[in-house]
Amino acid sequence: MGGMNFAFLCREKPKPTGKKVAIIGAGPAGLAAAGYLVCHGHEVHVYDKLPEPGGLMLFGIPEFRIPIYRVRDGCKNLENAFEVKFFPRTKVCFGNPNEDGDDFVEKRVEFEELVKNYDAVLIATGAWNAYLPNIPGSDLEGVFSALEYLFRIKSVKLGHMDWSEVPPIEGKKILVIGAGHTAVDAAIESVNLGAEKVYLSYRRTIREAPAGAYEIHLLQQRGVKWLERTMPVRIIGENGKVRAVELVKTKMSEPDETGRRRPIPIEGSNFQIDVDYVICAVGQMPTPPFAKETGIALDRKGRIVVDSRHMTSREGVFAAGDVVLGPSKVGKAVKDGLYTAESIHYWLMEVRE
Amino acid sequence: MRKVLHVDYSLCIGCETCEGVCEFLHHGKPNIRVYYTVTGIPIPINCRHCEKAPCMEVCPAGAISRDHDGAIIINPNKCIGCMMCLAVCPFGVPTFDVKLKAMTKCDMCADRRELGMPPACSEMCPAEAIFFGKPEEAEEEIRRRTAEKIARERISSIPLEGVGRQL
Ligand SMILES: Cc1cc2nc3c(=O)[nH]c(=O)nc-3n(C[C@H](O)[C@H](O)[C@H](O)COP(=O)(O)OP(=O)(O)OC[C@H]3O[C@@H](n4cnc5c(N)ncnc54)[C@H](O)[C@@H]3O)c2cc1C
Ligand code: SF4
Ligand code: SF4
Repeated sequence: MGGMNFAFLCREKPKPTGKKVAIIGAGPAGLAAAGYLVCHGHEVHVYDKLPEPGGLMLFGIPEFRIPIYRVRDGCKNLENAFEVKFFPRTKVCFGNPNEDGDDFVEKRVEFEELVKNYDAVLIATGAWNAYLPNIPGSDLEGVFSALEYLFRIKSVKLGHMDWSEVPPIEGKKILVIGAGHTAVDAAIESVNLGAEKVYLSYRRTIREAPAGAYEIHLLQQRGVKWLERTMPVRIIGENGKVRAVELVKTKMSEPDETGRRRPIPIEGSNFQIDVDYVICAVGQMPTPPFAKETGIALDRKGRIVVDSRHMTSREGVFAAGDVVLGPSKVGKAVKDGLYTAESIHYWLMEVRE
Repeated sequence: MRKVLHVDYSLCIGCETCEGVCEFLHHGKPNIRVYYTVTGIPIPINCRHCEKAPCMEVCPAGAISRDHDGAIIINPNKCIGCMMCLAVCPFGVPTFDVKLKAMTKCDMCADRRELGMPPACSEMCPAEAIFFGKPEEAEEEIRRRTAEKIARERISSIPLEGVGRQL
């Protein structure tokens, strides 16, 4: 079989409308939108700061889940058969600082520049801002966000980095914090790359694990030590590097006013394990391509606010995918990209529903 | 020519792309939906277009037929909405459409096949877990894909750049 067919809505490129759309971010949301838009005759330019399009499908999710050729061939098809123009290694910015995934940036383009030069702009920059737990020692060498860890491993496998740019994993002892898909993937990759011991720490029990009990059981079968009802309290260093981590056991609190129980530490239950790395997979935040005032509203969680037309608070600027939804799923990003592209098309062609 | 639309559950990563794309094409009502078991395993459920389709055999109105590609199709004009197809379907696939006042289900993207395009879910599944084609072609692809998956899990610590064909 070939690649993902992002332009699945048509067999060939239709007559051009003469409209030009810029898409910022070539993840599933941006690519699905690009497919819809070229199938409706618009010219599409896609900007991404990474060396090739694909977003987290290529640079985050391990290749035993999504085959690399499936994404690569899909993007090539958009480029060759539908004349989508890709601008890789190009960061769109407006006063934003360095972020995860900036390693490959060679060019910078001002956000306002795109708004001026295109008939519509779609922001699909995902959620790459990883949380690190606010505990002593989280600034030590050897503490990574799972996203950065997996990003580096995938960058090597894609041929864009050298193993020397990935922390050496063979023979190391690694603690992964979290129990979502990102945590599971970080643990599996650590095992696959020859880690001596991998621990997975989660505040609640296997039944609450967001990745599901099945995935956790699989990890245990592969030798990962599952530490449920634990949370890290401090990371202990030696010469600036991680040496051990101190965890505390947790229990569930009495229900609060909303009836929810939260995991709270059990006093005096602290224990230490020796580790070389601590990998945090406790969540990510949206990364819109701007930090300064651009007239685009964000909500409390940093997500771009859009109206029912998927338009931001600025006329002609739309947003889709994880930058709107918060960390979600490939399918949710694809779906949002499609609906947003449809809305961009209606707006450009002045179709009123 | 007989075609199959096969979902390989061992390859599915539960990303819901099939469901999202199908929903987009069918005005908010997907014909393939991902369900999560209590242990958290994602299972997409859609019509299997059975060879001896129980739904077609049981339908008292003769509303269910097989088209030239082997897709099992419900004709909403003939359907009387008795839900017998749902009662006998081993996968609980047919659903009652309140607006149409008839049962509907996956038609293997009939209007797309008319134009020579495969079902959208199989085009977009990133994990290549959905196969469409002649049975023997689909089976070949399934085995090839499964072999790749086994190999990738086994040798994922070895950089594949420059070793054989780049995946
Ligand atoms: C480790 C991991 C495992 C996952 N596993 C799964 C899974 O198994 N199944 C599943 O369904 N989902 C999974 N997800 C979630 C899924 O990957 C995301 O929900 C999805 O990729 C979001 O799509 P998106 O298009 O919104 O953003 P992304 O895929 O994040 O793409 C955004 C793109 O924008 C680019 N970009 C960002 N800022 C700028 C800028 N300023 N200028 C230029 N380009 C920019 C980035 O380089 C990136 O390519 C996983 C996520 C992670 C991190
Ligand atoms: S698109 Fe493929 S991998 Fe994703 S849920 Fe559907 S069958 Fe599974
Ligand atoms: S509706 Fe059910 S019984 Fe009928 S063909 Fe589909 S899967 Fe088989």
